[in-house]
Amino acid sequence: MTLVFLEGVDDELSRQAVTLAESLGGDVRAVTVDGPFAPAAWAAAIVDAAGGDDIVGPGSDRGNEVLAHVAAQLDLPFAANVSEVRGDQLTRIRWGGTLLEEARLHADRKVLTAAPFAFVASVDSTQAQVLAPNLDGAVAVVDHIAPDTGGKVSLADAKVVVSGGRGVGSAEGFAILEDLAALLDAAVGCSRVVTSAGWRPHSDQVGQTGTKVSPDLYIACGISGATQHIAGCKGAKALLAINADREATIFAHADYAVIGDLHEIVPAIAAELRKVKGS
Amino acid sequence: MFLTRLVRAARPLKRTDDVFRRVENEATIVLGQRKLFQRLVPGAMHALIFWGFLVLFPTILMAGIGAIDRDWSFPWLGRQGWYMAMVDVFIVAVLVGIAAAVWIRKVVRPRRFDGSHLGEADLILFMIALVVLTLLGWHAARIAAGLNEWPAHWSFLSNAVSHLVGSGASARERILVWAHVGVILTFLCYLPYSKHLHIATAAINVYFSRTRRPGRLEPLRFDVPEAELRFGAGTIRDLTWKEMVDSFSCTECGRCQDVCPAYATGKSLSPKLVIMGIRDQVFAEGPNLLAGGELTPIAGNGVPEDMIWDCVTCGACVHECPVSIEHIDHIVDLRRDLVMVQSSFPAEAESMLRDVERVGNPWGKPQGDRESWAEGLGVRVVAEGEPAPEILYWVGCAAAYDERARVAAESTVKLLQKAGVDFAILGARESCTGDPARRMGNEYVFQAYAEQNVATLNETGVTKIVASCPHCLNSLGNEYPDFGGRYEVVHHTQLLAELLRDGKLEPAKSETEITYHDSCYLARHNDVAAEPRELVAAVGKPVEMEKHGKNTFCCGAGGAHMWMEERGSPINEERVRQAAETGAETLAVACPFCTVMLDDGVRASGKQLRVVDVSTLLLEGVSDT
Repeated sequence: MTLVFLEGVDDELSRQAVTLAESLGGDVRAVTVDGPFAPAAWAAAIVDAAGGDDIVGPGSDRGNEVLAHVAAQLDLPFAANVSEVRGDQLTRIRWGGTLLEEARLHADRKVLTAAPFAFVASVDSTQAQVLAPNLDGAVAVVDHIAPDTGGKVSLADAKVVVSGGRGVGSAEGFAILEDLAALLDAAVGCSRVVTSAGWRPHSDQVGQTGTKVSPDLYIACGISGATQHIAGCKGAKALLAINADREATIFAHADYAVIGDLHEIVPAIAAELRKVKGS
Repeated sequence: MFLTRLVRAARPLKRTDDVFRRVENEATIVLGQRKLFQRLVPGAMHALIFWGFLVLFPTILMAGIGAIDRDWSFPWLGRQGWYMAMVDVFIVAVLVGIAAAVWIRKVVRPRRFDGSHLGEADLILFMIALVVLTLLGWHAARIAAGLNEWPAHWSFLSNAVSHLVGSGASARERILVWAHVGVILTFLCYLPYSKHLHIATAAINVYFSRTRRPGRLEPLRFDVPEAELRFGAGTIRDLTWKEMVDSFSCTECGRCQDVCPAYATGKSLSPKLVIMGIRDQVFAEGPNLLAGGELTPIAGNGVPEDMIWDCVTCGACVHECPVSIEHIDHIVDLRRDLVMVQSSFPAEAESMLRDVERVGNPWGKPQGDRESWAEGLGVRVVAEGEPAPEILYWVGCAAAYDERARVAAESTVKLLQKAGVDFAILGARESCTGDPARRMGNEYVFQAYAEQNVATLNETGVTKIVASCPHCLNSLGNEYPDFGGRYEVVHHTQLLAELLRDGKLEPAKSETEITYHDSCYLARHNDVAAEPRELVAAVGKPVEMEKHGKNTFCCGAGGAHMWMEERGSPINEERVRQAAETGAETLAVACPFCTVMLDDGVRASGKQLRVVDVSTLLLEGVSDT
């Protein structure tokens, strides 16, 4: 017998977990949990409902967290991100998909989560028993608060990022970048040099020790392209570099390059955009 | 005794091998006061007092017994005029030493004493003065009373003073001997509560200090029974006995603080305050430790967390410490607990740790791009199963992926080819040595890479390695032997200097003034300072910065700081300022991190300096001919 924990009856990853549970053979029972997210309390409710059955869950953030608590409460080994089960032999997907691990589970009872998209979601109509966990003394999520971005697009989520480096020259120099960003519905970023100089806050910094961005377009203005900066913007689908120094290493990483003074080029792009938008 | 029970309760550490080196350290560092003399005036001050008390010690014992039995004297020695002359000479020496100490503390007032217990130091100096003055008085009274068993004329000072003793010398002799013994006993009682405890612990601490290269960190053992498992230092229960003795040995002299680049640039770290904080916590919670009670974490209590993360592991403090305290071990042990147990560390370093763990380099670049820097250079890549070259060139992640750092790798390769050296690289089979993870405190990840790289190197049959990154060099040469990897590891400047000496490279000498910046992991941790200078002297006119060789000043990247945000004013800009002061046009370096940090520093400060690796300078010199 296998008990499968669902985040919701229609949840894609949860239905993939049902497929994993079915692959173990034997009957499959499904449960969901009601109420605020409280991983340890949810786990206790699942442990109660499972009796002596194997327990399977989705390989989502919540699924992995809840089943880790389940395993700890039962003092059993936990195998997360499982892609295949053959008896007590398992294949697990590790290190962001770069590694397949062959492992043996040293326990009579299995506690597993299904690696996302390693299984085809079950099409069986699922009846799930709804559990009500005991929240007395439990740590539970009471509210989610999104960081205040002052109404602007956040750097991490922006589709377009306009970023400035030493070449911008001053805090005031960012006005033309702000202007371009507003036209593109973009966020403004900067390099380490800029935050060190105090022109922009650290929250705007893109790079190894700042925010990692992956926009559709990254516009690097007056940024030389040090490895530390590239580490933060290498996820961009396209990189447009504007720099007066034709030797700047940023051009080695750029899809589009403009060699010239950003103080002329950025306003020119903004003017052209305004023309196109017809304002 | 409380202290010995604490040390016995502490975690084990093997420091009993290498007896010859330990005796040598004892002779030079303790008896010879070698490290104290790294600063001439304070060194001489201390040596006068220390050597003075070595000579006076038998006399103090004599006073102890003589207080009870007036007619007792040391057999033989107590009758030697030359010894009593020495006693007088060294009484003067100690008094001169005390005068110098007072002058240093009250007139010069160096910043290194900031945060030390100043009143305590004054009291200790006063007590030392009392010890020798009562001793002098006792000897003088003994001569006046005719109790001296040695020829009085040898005692030039006591003899002169004896004329002042006057009548009733015999009674005064009794009073003075008891005064002397009283001062000594009082001092002994006060000792364990003060920083003067070092007179009992320093010699022990020096004996057990590391005898291998300072760059090697003590590995954690993960294959031991659970009771012996240790993940760095969370509470004082996790400290090794050497770390305990370290903390008992600190005299708060502040030499470490004075040379610390983090302290010098306004960060919260002072190596002295780290050790004092640990000592205070050990004393406060020691009874609890022995009773098996609850203990509080060191991080955030005895040692603020900021201090733990400010350290660049440059080793200036360890090099300077006269009593061989190993500050880096303490800081790395605290980091290990924060990273592996608490998961509490500067957020910006997380991506470095993750990228090292997942993709094998700190910037998260694809492993497949590792050899792309060498395209078109004709460098042999040793594939699996192929024979090892005479010398394996360990490129390192920085040179493989960073545009500025790779210039040095290209130069080195061209020079080796010119000189006809049989070498090859591992290409995509090379990965991070694990150094940044280890310095950050993630010992797990480091050991995983150490084992993996050792396996690759051993399978390939590598015997000699040249590395251009001093951090790789340190891990490969000093730390991999702990994991079964034993290779002859040299830095590219050492190999190039050898080729230069053998006449295989003949560069043209220019008139360019070059100042060479020593990398901490090269000069201080691995004793490589002469060879890069040979290369610099072969291509230009060397000029030295004030802080050079083993006294070098970090570029700011060590201890995983390449991937952390800096608090306070930037260390790299300070170093660039020091370099610019020499008036040189070129700032030569021999480490990829120094290259990037100092080049950034030059750009930020707008100085006219060219930051370039020594190998590139040499290649330019060779190409010109």
